[in-house]
Amino acid sequence: MEIALIGNPNTGKTSLFNHLTGSYEYVGNWSGVTVEKKIGIFKNNKDKLIDLPGIYTLNPLSKDEGVVTQFLLTEIVDKMLNILDASQIERNLHLTIQLLEYGKPTIIGLNMMDVASKRGIHVDPVKLSQTLGIPVAPVVARSGKGCTDLAATIIEGDIPNPNPSLVHYGTEIEEAIEKLEELLEGKQNHSVRWLALQLFEGNQYVKQYLYSVIGEERLNFFLQQIEKTINTNYQTSLEQFIFQKRKAKIDWIIADSAIKRNLTKTPLSEKIDAIVTNKILGLPIFFLLMYLMFMLTFDWLGFPLSDYLDGLITGPIASGIESLLSAVGASDFIHALILDGIVAGVGGVLVFVPQIFILFFFISLLEDSGYMARVALVMDRLMEAVGLNGKAFIPMMIGFGCNVPGIMAARTIETPKERLLTILLTPLMSCSARLPIYALFVGAFFVQQKALIVLSIYVLGIAVAFILAKVFSSTILKGETSLFVIELPPYRLPQFRALWRSTWDKGKGFLKKAGTFIFAGSVFIWLLSYAGPSGMDVALDDSYLAVIGGFIAPLFEPIGFNSWQAGASLITGFLAKEAIISTMNIIYFVPDEASLQGLLSNYFTPLSAYSFMIFILLYIPCLATTATIYKETGSKRWTVFSIGYALIIAYILSFVIYQGGKLLGLG
Amino acid sequence: MLGKLKKGEKGRILHISSIDHLVRRRLLDLGITEGSEVCLKCVMPFGGPIMVESCGQCIGIRRKEAIQIEVERL
Repeated sequence: MEIALIGNPNTGKTSLFNHLTGSYEYVGNWSGVTVEKKIGIFKNNKDKLIDLPGIYTLNPLSKDEGVVTQFLLTEIVDKMLNILDASQIERNLHLTIQLLEYGKPTIIGLNMMDVASKRGIHVDPVKLSQTLGIPVAPVVARSGKGCTDLAATIIEGDIPNPNPSLVHYGTEIEEAIEKLEELLEGKQNHSVRWLALQLFEGNQYVKQYLYSVIGEERLNFFLQQIEKTINTNYQTSLEQFIFQKRKAKIDWIIADSAIKRNLTKTPLSEKIDAIVTNKILGLPIFFLLMYLMFMLTFDWLGFPLSDYLDGLITGPIASGIESLLSAVGASDFIHALILDGIVAGVGGVLVFVPQIFILFFFISLLEDSGYMARVALVMDRLMEAVGLNGKAFIPMMIGFGCNVPGIMAARTIETPKERLLTILLTPLMSCSARLPIYALFVGAFFVQQKALIVLSIYVLGIAVAFILAKVFSSTILKGETSLFVIELPPYRLPQFRALWRSTWDKGKGFLKKAGTFIFAGSVFIWLLSYAGPSGMDVALDDSYLAVIGGFIAPLFEPIGFNSWQAGASLITGFLAKEAIISTMNIIYFVPDEASLQGLLSNYFTPLSAYSFMIFILLYIPCLATTATIYKETGSKRWTVFSIGYALIIAYILSFVIYQGGKLLGLG
Repeated sequence: MLGKLKKGEKGRILHISSIDHLVRRRLLDLGITEGSEVCLKCVMPFGGPIMVESCGQCIGIRRKEAIQIEVERL
């Protein structure tokens, strides 16, 4: 059985999903924003729960909202679970009514009763259930209270078909629905009432669907007629008219099942907001939080943990493997492959796991606490100045973790132009895969100012993105209005379990990559370094890797790194940025990280190291990111553009930094 | 005008149809329309967005849109 989970944004949908499903199949739900449907299996191991993006109405404004309508139009749904926020019940019921019109058995999970009663709103689930004619189960999605009962009701309970005519829209519309019914007679299986009302509201997805069933001309004629009738009879638009009818019904439902009292207590959220979205303090607080996040990720927590892990891998683990290999009498080739190739390559990436998890933990913390939406508000003025809007900052922040979910999170941006710009520029946000490279280089060249140097690279990424946003939005992407309306959810104290789960969801992609991609890449790179035109087990400088790297190395001379090693690692960096580290570890094979750092000083100066880091920051989105850009824009032209502009900008900036630095006598 | 309210002041929306239709729809989704009571909570610096509260929820909108929403002071 397929059960769809639908509800407004910030109603606790994802928490409920996690409580109801023991296991789940992971479908690209990287960030706090559910951007794609995610399918979970109920604890009975049989029925499926489908988590859909949060929406206010079935009539979509942005792409992620369209996912739900598209889903209802094309997939088979057996039952629907609609989660309601009791503290925002009026608003939430608009969606509920549309779902009831869809005509499938529906059950309501009534969440946040505690928040509601603090605001003086009391909702009686029994009465609400009677009024709506469908089961209503109170739940506490955060703690999981009531979830077992809810699951039992959905799976085993006999849920009656809802009454799709809960709202009477007046003679004109009711007649028009009947007329559409005649036009569609036997041509499709959806509820005609639902299709008709969505069409009248201006739902483009439904309109396209109906075009394919009865033809464009016929449908447009039909639609114009009803629009005209409503316009002349009521002096209002069809969309507004339907909204008013629903609203009147909702007011009646509320009066029938919920009592509202007004308390004049200042909720905690408002007290916090008075500080963090303060006119003067807002931005400084945001920057301070960012600074703390970086200090913790690097200096205070990350580096010590990485060092410890490095000691473990290069020490006991490597020697353990070595003695094991000697014991089983492995050949020299296998010996070298495992120790110099796999352990060096994969191990070199794994030591950065603590830092990456700490960073993901903080991003999750910002998302779960509700601060992320405030960031969008605080940053909007600045973003507007460069032709974006505050919401574009969220994909960029998520991009610090990984560019792929960052680009996907851009789906919540309503206007196509701002969305495209955000997609094109998010790869400039320094993702966690680039972090090991900085960590290695600052460890070798900038021991005193580690966090500061890394922060400067992150800031540079943002600055370049902003400048380009301005340039692109006033040249190739001119025109179109900007839309910024954002809901600011109340602050919530994040629960450790939820935080850990979301950190793990994000971080395990990194571990998976280390286990598969980096593993294969390491073997491949090692083979290229082991073999050469003159045979196997050659000196490194005679290897195929040196040949390939040497071929492109002269290109990098003007920006400060002309060694073949740098050239070779940049090629592998396109596959995944971490591969740069694996490659370097294999090329400069040395017993531990400290000696690798010592060795690097033979090839780089602090200035050229900085130039190298900047180049890595900007030069190209990794393979997975490029694929995501293609998927999200659906355009080869924009995908090629995103690679092309990045290469050019990277080269120019590294050139300026290196040559400029030399002129200033820093080289 | 909503944009002209001072921090902490309350108003009731009289007229909302002069703003961009996409913005209007999104506000409608959030339950903010003619007749809604709103309270101005925060104002971002440099002509940035404002934060308003309505029925216990907070939303952020830009000032240039806010000044097109007619309200009566309460």
